[in-house]
Amino acid sequence: MPGLIKHKRSREAESWLKKEIAEQKARFRRIEHEMNVVIAKKRDQWIEEFLHNIQTRGYHVHFNMMRKIKPEEIPKKPKRKFKVVF
Amino acid sequence: MTRPHIEPFIDREVPFKKMTLPGFPKGMHYKMLSLDTDTGACSMTVKFEPGYELPPGMSYSEMELFVMSGYIEMEGKKHGPGTYICLPPGVALPAMKMPRGVTGLLFYNHGEPSFVESDADHRLGESDKLIKVNAYQDMQWSSTNFFPATAPGCMVKILKFDERTQAFTFLYCMTPNFWQDNISYHDCAEEAYHIWGTSWMMQFGDLPTGGYFYRPPYINHGAFRCELGTIALGRTDSQLYNHFHFNPWTTVEENRARAGARMLAWKPDLYKWVATGDHNHPADFEFPHAHYDEKGERIFHHHDGGDLDHNHGRPSRPPAAKSRARRK
Repeated sequence: MPGLIKHKRSREAESWLKKEIAEQKARFRRIEHEMNVVIAKKRDQWIEEFLHNIQTRGYHVHFNMMRKIKPEEIPKKPKRKFKVVF
Repeated sequence: MTRPHIEPFIDREVPFKKMTLPGFPKGMHYKMLSLDTDTGACSMTVKFEPGYELPPGMSYSEMELFVMSGYIEMEGKKHGPGTYICLPPGVALPAMKMPRGVTGLLFYNHGEPSFVESDADHRLGESDKLIKVNAYQDMQWSSTNFFPATAPGCMVKILKFDERTQAFTFLYCMTPNFWQDNISYHDCAEEAYHIWGTSWMMQFGDLPTGGYFYRPPYINHGAFRCELGTIALGRTDSQLYNHFHFNPWTTVEENRARAGARMLAWKPDLYKWVATGDHNHPADFEFPHAHYDEKGERIFHHHDGGDLDHNHGRPSRPPAAKSRARRK
């Protein structure tokens, strides 16, 4: 692999990695819950504002080029579960 | 790359840990930002205690260091905040001293953190790829040069650009009262750390100073806001393209499918060739066309069914080995 010189990973590195992976899993679960569940209602409100703004002020197509989105173009919230952290 | 979606993570909420891996002198502390669970490649905030000294040495993995505070003494020169070093694997850096301590960002791009004391390069070290620059003092802000581009008020300084993958490392800033009303996703993974300032994204809320994210490809982010300005360090693992849209509820799968459909519309001939069930080997004429690169490492290529890791019976040898054999 470019960017890496083959070497044997030491025992200490193996056990360090194992511990870090476990901590990262726990961190991911915390973030996932916070983002997908705890702030979900707040985000619904932010989305509502965004959908309003792109109809009144416009949607950024490129740099300072903006286009006002027509009401019929506005997407509808699907019934499926909505998440932002995957 | 196998890293989970870490967004947002505020490193100020967690304490530093002692670096205990073999080879690293005592006095180095870190906060893990994200970690590749297969390779051990990782992104960390680091703190070196006042008086920390590192002998001449190298890393097995490509490494990037960005100094946020304090300074490093190296070869009689002081390297303060804004210093960016990209150290190719196997290239030895001279001894370093940090008389007043240093905080920074440290990235090991392809393997777990390693430090091997050495005053000479490894035989595979490519010292011509070493980058050392002070991004605050020696570089100027420029517009993003992407098409479609981010809204006015977002500027960058490109620190490193990989000509093969188009992965890049960059400083970026958002001016006070920056806003961008669209939703974006990319074909690449992207990570960033807020050196100073708070910005806001519609999915994740505020990201303050010390805020970090590692975001795999095709994940929606934006709209964007920044009230007082932000300076941050960002990285991608391949080419960054802004797929803009305004549907807040699309999934990763839908975003990827849209990117594929756009590729078909933009590059129909290439798309069809890559997508055929034949034994295609997308190879770059600027890079060795074989199963191996110049270091003897296997290059992945395309096969029907997404089988990217396979062999063809008797393994072919790297080009260097073949020419050596011919000379004998």
